[in-house]
Amino acid sequence: MPLLTPHVGSQLVDLGSALLLLICFAIVAQRRLSACVDLFALQSVFLAATAALVAFLTGIHHIYIAAALTIVIKAIVIPRILKRVIERLNVARELVMNVNVPAGLLICGGLVMLAFFITQPIIPLGFLLTRDSLAIALAIMLIGFFTMIARKKAVTQVIGFLVMENGLFLGASAAAYGMPLIVELGVFFDVLVGALIIGIYTHRLQDAFDSVDTSKLTILKE
Amino acid sequence: MVWPLIVLVAAPVLAGLGSLLVKERRAVEALQCIQAGALLASALMVFERVVADGGLSVGILLQTDALSAWLDLIIGVVGSTGTLFAVGYMGEEFARGHLTLQRYSRFFCLFDLYVAAMLTAVNQDNIAIMWIAIEGSTLSAALLIGFERSQAALEAGWKYVILSAVGISLALFGTILIYYSSEHVLGVSSEALRWSQLYQVAERLHPAAIKIAFIFALVGYGTKAGVAPMHTWLPDAHAEAPTPVSAMLSANMLTLAVYAILRFKIITDRTVGPEFCDTLLVGLGSLSLTVAATFLLVQRDFKRLFAYSSIEHIGIALLGFGIGGAGTFAGAWHLLNHALAKSAAFYGAGLVFLGHEHRMLDRVTGLLVHMPLAGIAILVAGLALAGMPPFGLFTSELLIAVSTYAVRPEVAGVFLLLLTLAFATLLYQVFRMILGVPAGPGRPLGRQCCLFAGTAIGVNMAVLGAIGLNVPQEMTVVLDAIVKLFGRATEIP
Repeated sequence: MPLLTPHVGSQLVDLGSALLLLICFAIVAQRRLSACVDLFALQSVFLAATAALVAFLTGIHHIYIAAALTIVIKAIVIPRILKRVIERLNVARELVMNVNVPAGLLICGGLVMLAFFITQPIIPLGFLLTRDSLAIALAIMLIGFFTMIARKKAVTQVIGFLVMENGLFLGASAAAYGMPLIVELGVFFDVLVGALIIGIYTHRLQDAFDSVDTSKLTILKE
Repeated sequence: MVWPLIVLVAAPVLAGLGSLLVKERRAVEALQCIQAGALLASALMVFERVVADGGLSVGILLQTDALSAWLDLIIGVVGSTGTLFAVGYMGEEFARGHLTLQRYSRFFCLFDLYVAAMLTAVNQDNIAIMWIAIEGSTLSAALLIGFERSQAALEAGWKYVILSAVGISLALFGTILIYYSSEHVLGVSSEALRWSQLYQVAERLHPAAIKIAFIFALVGYGTKAGVAPMHTWLPDAHAEAPTPVSAMLSANMLTLAVYAILRFKIITDRTVGPEFCDTLLVGLGSLSLTVAATFLLVQRDFKRLFAYSSIEHIGIALLGFGIGGAGTFAGAWHLLNHALAKSAAFYGAGLVFLGHEHRMLDRVTGLLVHMPLAGIAILVAGLALAGMPPFGLFTSELLIAVSTYAVRPEVAGVFLLLLTLAFATLLYQVFRMILGVPAGPGRPLGRQCCLFAGTAIGVNMAVLGAIGLNVPQEMTVVLDAIVKLFGRATEIP
């Protein structure tokens, strides 16, 4: 009897997804920007591992390619770019947040419940192996979205966006057994270009406003 | 005969990359003029083919049905005049020394890729590739909005990037949910992402999954369409972007986002019946209309004024699609006429901005006297946008009002009230600009700028006037086919 029965496999995928979610909480609680970037890179590694596990268990090989791309782009390239931005801009800490850490964690707990509530009617539709991943994927997206609202520095907003993307990718590869390869490639390309453009914007914001604190962007209002 | 479709998508890509390569301003201009011609001609030819055959496809790469052809027409015609206007506008900026040659060519490269991404998005059968193309247009637009690099432009660009990044992620989640549901019916393959396949099997998809997918798509693409309450980026982006870009954002990108919502609506309607989407669309449409009608009155910046008017008109179109039947017909008709009128209004606004170098509404009075070209453009477009006959927006608003009375009488009263409010405020603001004591001559515009802008405005006005009150035969064929896609017979009261 093989060691990896579908039951064990399913548990492992759940474990991987849960670890991703756990890291989201860590990101919300972390004030140091470079640690946030590291956490994001770690999350991407877990994401790639979960995706590779799904590929192994289902025999759908193109998910391996997506997993490899996740390692290269999200665990190596994008964190490097972000670290360079942080160094250049000299923003080590998030001193001011819109929401304090305990309240933020509490809200994130609520978001996880919301995600399970929303996806409840459609969970039974999923494949047996990866049933709960969809709810976790949505939870990660919502927390990423929350991070974008709760933080003021442009760099942390970018991390929030990337966490959202990780949630999406978990949804696509674990819950839906991977989108067709061409789609995955296109999505990766867009994420990479998106991160670059946001990077360019942070530079220009720094040059124009002498700050990457987005709460200073107040010229335009009614 | 598929080559017009290939030309339509390929011409802007080639012209854009070409503009980066040639090192001469005149060569860039020539390329852009060729692109403008190619876009107009190929969009019309694609439209003709679809009228004759009902559809057109290049393998699985590009596929066009009635709804795509309608968008091809809008993006093709406005893209073409927009390119001409951009040549005039950016040429003037260049002549005044505000731009280096490098930035001048980079602008056109981005501008063309932006148009190309939009055209790719509408001629797609695959919902995920459509998403990729729409994301591509979002990213190029992000760089175009912040192009002038002033503090205000960067702030507007940042707002746009962040909001649309979130929006587009939500839309992707909606797309994944569709796949999540359809792969059980169509198998784990690209087939499960194709409209044409999804429409066939829509009844067998999981209703709850499709409902949730529609909500995500509506919020996600709705952010891009500037639907209230996700519209906050829109006035800033429209005001701060270089004016040719404002025109394209308003006329094409908002329309494209509505198109994406409609694609999801067709599937959802077939899976769970029309009631669900209709209620959401009527609700959000009315909310947008309310927000826009209120804020139109207090605008002091003429580009923001037209931006709020875009929120209003997208709201009206969504309301029409939410009513269904004749409302769908009117909604699609509304989108075309709005695109033509709004881009003409922005062309006029662009000339005024070049002349006065500020956007204060009350300091550019008497435009008809001191800037007749811009004045006429803003007057005619303003009348059209307010919904005066003999323009198409009058027909579509009337048709939507009548069908609303038939289907949802409780909404009809509110709709007419808001429409009247928007009508009065927009015209009041437009008349403040074009009449009154002339505000002094401002900076003179170069001959080339006036020539190109005049051509762009002229073409828009001519089309707007020609299709005015009676819908041409070919367009009726396509509009009827669109209504059929939504699965309800048209009855034009």
